[in-house]
Amino acid sequence: MDHRGTVRQFVERLLAKKGDKKGFNDGDSLFLSGRLQSVDAVEVVIFLEEEWGVDFAKIGFEMSLIDSVDSILALRQHTEVPG
Amino acid sequence: MHTAATAPVVFDRSQLADLRLIPPIEKYPKLVLFAQTGVGKITVWGLFVLGLWYFFRTPLEWVPITVSLLLITVLPKWRWNLVAACTLATTAIETRSLYFLAAIAVGALLFWCARQWPDSEFSQRPIAYLVVGCTLLIVVCSTIPRNANSYLPAWRAVGLATTYLWFVGYALMDRTAIVKKDLTLELGTFHPFWGSTNTPFPKGAAYLRRIEAKDDEQLAVTRLKGLKLLAWAILLALFNTLWTFFFHKYLHIPWARQVLAASVHRGPYPWYICWESQVLSFFEFLLQITVFGHWVIASCRFAGFNALRNTYRPLSAVTVIEFFNRFYYYFKELLVDFFFYPTFFRYFKKHPRLRLVAATFAAVAFGNMFFHFTRDYWMIPRVGFVNAIVNFQVYAFYCVALATALSISQLRRRKTPHLGFLRGRAFPAVWVIFFYCVLDVFGSTERNYPLVEHFRLLGHMFGVNF
Repeated sequence: MDHRGTVRQFVERLLAKKGDKKGFNDGDSLFLSGRLQSVDAVEVVIFLEEEWGVDFAKIGFEMSLIDSVDSILALRQHTEVPG
Repeated sequence: MHTAATAPVVFDRSQLADLRLIPPIEKYPKLVLFAQTGVGKITVWGLFVLGLWYFFRTPLEWVPITVSLLLITVLPKWRWNLVAACTLATTAIETRSLYFLAAIAVGALLFWCARQWPDSEFSQRPIAYLVVGCTLLIVVCSTIPRNANSYLPAWRAVGLATTYLWFVGYALMDRTAIVKKDLTLELGTFHPFWGSTNTPFPKGAAYLRRIEAKDDEQLAVTRLKGLKLLAWAILLALFNTLWTFFFHKYLHIPWARQVLAASVHRGPYPWYICWESQVLSFFEFLLQITVFGHWVIASCRFAGFNALRNTYRPLSAVTVIEFFNRFYYYFKELLVDFFFYPTFFRYFKKHPRLRLVAATFAAVAFGNMFFHFTRDYWMIPRVGFVNAIVNFQVYAFYCVALATALSISQLRRRKTPHLGFLRGRAFPAVWVIFFYCVLDVFGSTERNYPLVEHFRLLGHMFGVNF
């Protein structure tokens, strides 16, 4: 599966856990729209650390960095793990 | 019987789900179009400020926000400058002084420093510096003798510092924000004219930039959502009045503070009265926070910012962490932004569970305590620094207990989400309410009675007297 598919699948799972089965586009806001909360951000952060080695302590964290599938994918430039 | 003959035979559950006390006016296309016209804008503004009158006691409180919203309605392109100007004017009118400008000037200076020297230690960890700086200021002021000339000005400075602490904090966080930022925007969010507590509603300028209406249609929708939320706030406030009358005036159920005082003076009410009072207290606090948050966020929305509600369906929460998230959203966000994330991103990365617990304790135990201790700074000149800390024991216990419960709630993932309504939603929701009712025995911010007295009341409620 490509990176976009992986991220989409992860976000779908996260939303489903909250009982949110509505669809979403890659550019749709997830956190600022209120569909996901800051506690869910923790899971996104762990996912990004494990998948791509993103270190938010280094790049600084703000919610807009992970607010949509597109913005999460843009974080790959901070990848430390190859692939 | 004509009515019976035409009534639907099968009950449609979706009809119940669609039943709303306040219709979704922002989804009516004709109304949205009307709200974009000149007459529509003024009509919606008129309705809004009329509703807002319910929450203000005097014209002096009502007029500034009314005029501010009118200016922003008429000149939406100047929104940011108007937000800043109206915030300064409203604060000057409310406080009847210009001392607050000193706090804003310090905040602006810190923001400028953080942006000017991005690689400095201060710029790397501005919040830590802010928290330590505020603590030092309080400690130093505590050493000033009561009869010294500098006593009153010093404590006034502490008051300003604690009032603006978290607003400045958000401004410092915004230094690295991706969206456009400048000092004018930051100033407008320091105790914005639409209302706030020491908790910034809703967060800082960078956040407002992201949620502001981008075109006329979005602006009309956001305003209609604001109007709807205000109507909801008025309904809940009226319900709160009826609730208070019925339970406390008609049924004479004592207030929670009376129950605690009676227990302290060894004349406790019967255990079931204590429970009644405690449960009522929980719902009353919930109503108060909801009403306040609703009208503040409604005003913020009317200014053109589509902010999330401060309280959103808390009674539907099925876990302790979910309730915490839904109850007082912007305070929770403050704790997360200032304490949880910094800890989570820096420490215990190799130990996932410890990492989560440490970050939760940093936010809900330490952050929560620090917020309330500095918010209630006026206790310090009254009883002294050490006694103020000693008197804080009950709330400190509350914070640690809450942090423990939230840590467990996060670590325990719900593995069976499809249990049906009763086992999946109703029972867990009741359990969550029960938990917070019990915890609220320690949740009051009164500073008069020691921890043991709160335990004595709790024991009495469970039939254990000591």
